[in-house]
Amino acid sequence: MSGKLNVDGLNAWYGRQQVLYDLTLDLPESGVTAVIGPSGCGKTTFLRCLNRLHDELPGARVDGRVLLDGTDVRRLEATEVRARIGMVFQKPTPFSHMSIYENVAAGPRLLGLHRREDLDRAVWASLVRAGLWEEVRDDVDALGTSLSGGQQQRLCIARAIAVEPEVLLMDEPCSALDPIATAKVERLIAELKERYTIVIVTHNLPQARRVSDRTAFFYLGKVVEFDRTSAVFDHPKEALTENYVQGRFG
Amino acid sequence: MTATQSPADCTEAPPYDPAGRPPTPAGRQSDRRLRLVGLNRIGRAFHGLAIATAAGVVALLGAVVLVLLEASGGSSARTGPAFLVGQTWDPVHNVYGALPAISGTIATSGLALLFAVPVAIGVAIFLTEFVPRRLREPIAALVDLSAAVPSVVWGFWAILVVAPFVGHSVEPVLARWTGGAGPFARPPTGFDVLSASVVLAIMVLPTISAISRSALGAVPRSQREAALSLGATRSEAAWLSVLRPARSGIVAGILLGFGRAAGEAVIVVGLIGNVYALPTSLFAQGQTIAGEILNDLNSGLPPERSALVELGLLLLVVTVLVQLAARGIVRWAEASRPRFGSDRSGRATRILREFGSGGLPPDPGPGAPAAPGRRPHPRTRPGHRRIVRRARGIAAVALTGAATTLALLPLVSVLGTAISFGGVAAVHPSFYTSELPAACPAIAQASCPIGGIGPAIQGTLLLVGLASLVAVPVGILAGVYLSEYGRGRGTSIVRLAADLLVGIPSVLIGLFVVVVLLQGAPALDNTALAGALALGVLMVPIVTRATEEALKAVPQAAREAALALGFPRHRATIRVVLPSARYGLITGIFLAVARAGGETAAVVLTAFGSPYWFAGLNHPVSSLTLVIFEQGSQSSYSNWQADAWGAALVLLVLMLGVSVAARLMARGATRPDPEA
Ligand SMILES: Nc1ncnc2c1ncn2[C@@H]1O[C@H](COP(=O)(O)OP(=O)(O)OP(=O)(O)O)[C@@H](O)[C@H]1O
Ligand SMILES: [Mg+2]
Repeated sequence: MSGKLNVDGLNAWYGRQQVLYDLTLDLPESGVTAVIGPSGCGKTTFLRCLNRLHDELPGARVDGRVLLDGTDVRRLEATEVRARIGMVFQKPTPFSHMSIYENVAAGPRLLGLHRREDLDRAVWASLVRAGLWEEVRDDVDALGTSLSGGQQQRLCIARAIAVEPEVLLMDEPCSALDPIATAKVERLIAELKERYTIVIVTHNLPQARRVSDRTAFFYLGKVVEFDRTSAVFDHPKEALTENYVQGRFG
Repeated sequence: MTATQSPADCTEAPPYDPAGRPPTPAGRQSDRRLRLVGLNRIGRAFHGLAIATAAGVVALLGAVVLVLLEASGGSSARTGPAFLVGQTWDPVHNVYGALPAISGTIATSGLALLFAVPVAIGVAIFLTEFVPRRLREPIAALVDLSAAVPSVVWGFWAILVVAPFVGHSVEPVLARWTGGAGPFARPPTGFDVLSASVVLAIMVLPTISAISRSALGAVPRSQREAALSLGATRSEAAWLSVLRPARSGIVAGILLGFGRAAGEAVIVVGLIGNVYALPTSLFAQGQTIAGEILNDLNSGLPPERSALVELGLLLLVVTVLVQLAARGIVRWAEASRPRFGSDRSGRATRILREFGSGGLPPDPGPGAPAAPGRRPHPRTRPGHRRIVRRARGIAAVALTGAATTLALLPLVSVLGTAISFGGVAAVHPSFYTSELPAACPAIAQASCPIGGIGPAIQGTLLLVGLASLVAVPVGILAGVYLSEYGRGRGTSIVRLAADLLVGIPSVLIGLFVVVVLLQGAPALDNTALAGALALGVLMVPIVTRATEEALKAVPQAAREAALALGFPRHRATIRVVLPSARYGLITGIFLAVARAGGETAAVVLTAFGSPYWFAGLNHPVSSLTLVIFEQGSQSSYSNWQADAWGAALVLLVLMLGVSVAARLMARGATRPDPEA
């Protein structure tokens, strides 16, 4: 089997309401996969199934398989899955009571990194790679929530990559950001994709086109089309996809 | 829109016609105008009444403070600062010192917190973080129900269950382990500082856990998910993302719990041994401020009384300060966004800056080690840490689950005990209609008349009914002021006064009423009227705050809709806002009634108690709590014991019933109103 993450016959429910129907797709080892589709079609739910966060919601249910390097994530411990598959949420979620440093150090600490030197190195490297270092280098003891929205989002990215995940899930990471902050995050994604498998949900079609190598179009809980980004945008096979990418959609 | 601003504006302005219809014929218009003027008078009167009652709540607090200050004058003038450090309480020679009572209060409430806080926080964490969703509500409801058990029932139960257990099973073991050194000196008896503290802990636990639970629940889900997404276990997520933000709320809950424990009189009197001496050991008998007041006020002569008032003043100061501190902590945590995380020294900044001064890390190409010179990733190291983390997670669930079980035990035990000891009496219909029997020694058990608690039931209904008659309208009006008319400084003063009044120990309210009556109308001390007065004072602030909360939950749109129809403010309030808030209002009234019905200390001091049927408002009267408190303590009369247990059972059923009803009402309040 090829690919980093293989999704095979995935169904998901909230209580009685089914929101994902029989999804099957293989995400390649490197590169960026964009997930697009109208609001409520299950993009967020899809991401949350990949790192088993969906399991945490009361009443939520999944079946089907998600293979990480060929192993079903449900046969791994949830903590291991989530350490290997990092996530950045739509709204920035820095820990509200922690400094920038502590936010980034939280993940490595969980994994048993306690020597000050190691932590410092991990925090510093993550902040550099998240493109936030130059802005916060004089004040990593400030509260994470004291940063601007765009900085907070990059802080969350730094926090996620400090755990050294293999996959990075990003759920509309730029939806709360202005164009300049968005450009920064996009540049960051371009850099990170060398090292991580990235899945990004976005409503911003030009963005999907700019940052992704492959694109999955979701509609009503199903994958309508999944292909190279240029193919999906320029030569869609399905009429539904064509309507959506050309903005002819309700 | 004139109507929305102030009803007073309407007098001069032409009647507001929302549809812009042509003016009505002259006659009808003047009719309508007349009606509006009339309405305005009513509106102004209503507004004035609301302000007056709200001012009354503030005045009540002021009165409590001033009356106690004034009445202690005689004592403080005589003993001065020596009062604080004196160690004897000698009414014969008129020598009074407060130190034993002060230290007894601090020792018992401090120990009570030591026992209750870990359990209460455990319960709160278990319920918000670990328990399956389906079990959460029922378990939380049971824990909350323990808060409805009156303290006199806890005390009575504890004399039978806790004191023997502590005296026979816990203390001897502790004494043996420690060799009877220091705080473990003295022969264990079970009626001592330790027992009293344990029972106080049982009493305050539901309060602390409820406040902690709401603090934990207020942390947004996204914070927990952020922690989980880093690979945290559930308990690690709780630790990382929930406990620290909830800290201020938890501390506030602990402080309020301290206030309640410090002000509790009935439990202390039942368990501490009532010896006015410094609590030199956990196994020593002692006394607290509240306990001393409850014990001596009714029998004390004027000089002792003013010394007791001075003691009460100390307790008042402590409880008010504790409450102000609790408010302050929550305010401070809400208002100040501290700029720094926990490491305020800027250490990480300094170290990291040097780190980064060498320039950016070399850009690792694909497949290169992730961070420069890093060790193998911890995740890839052998699984020992994984086992540790997993074990920690299991331990967290087990410990908090055990805390929850522990927290539920007293309720189960008190119910079981009351049913098995009180059930026998309570099944006789005559138990509810006959008077207390003649006391009957335990030896003659077989031929003992059982009698009943008719006068006690009558007395409780009478006291609570009379108190509600005054307190409910007053409380509702003051609540209306806070929610509908209040603006700025005035509102926050009224709210603060109501909050402080809620937190004043009931024994002090009883003391306040006694002092007022002794000065103004000595004949009314120790009467039904005095009892109702004290309960009314207890109820007013509870109804006030509950009303405010209930009215605030009514959407602003409902008010504006009524005002837009041309309703003057008072009619909008009476016709629209109050009816939509009815569930919340009834919940608040129920809570206040439960508080009054379960009250003992204030009733002992004011209504005195009586074995007979109601004989007039100017006579002493019985009540369920008094029967438990008075007859229950006469352990040598078996039929009185049985009656007290029957009364405890009846009281428990009533209190739990009211509390369950209040919960159901509160649930109704949160559901969308079918009629609106
Ligand atoms: N916590 C929840 N409980 C119940 N239903 C939910 C929950 N979260 C999402 N849903 C439902 O699941 C469906 C898919 O939601 P999801 O959040 O995955 O959509 P989405 O594609 O991410 O939408 P958006 O673009 O608006 O973020 C929706 O119909 C939504 O109503
Ligand atoms: Mg979404």
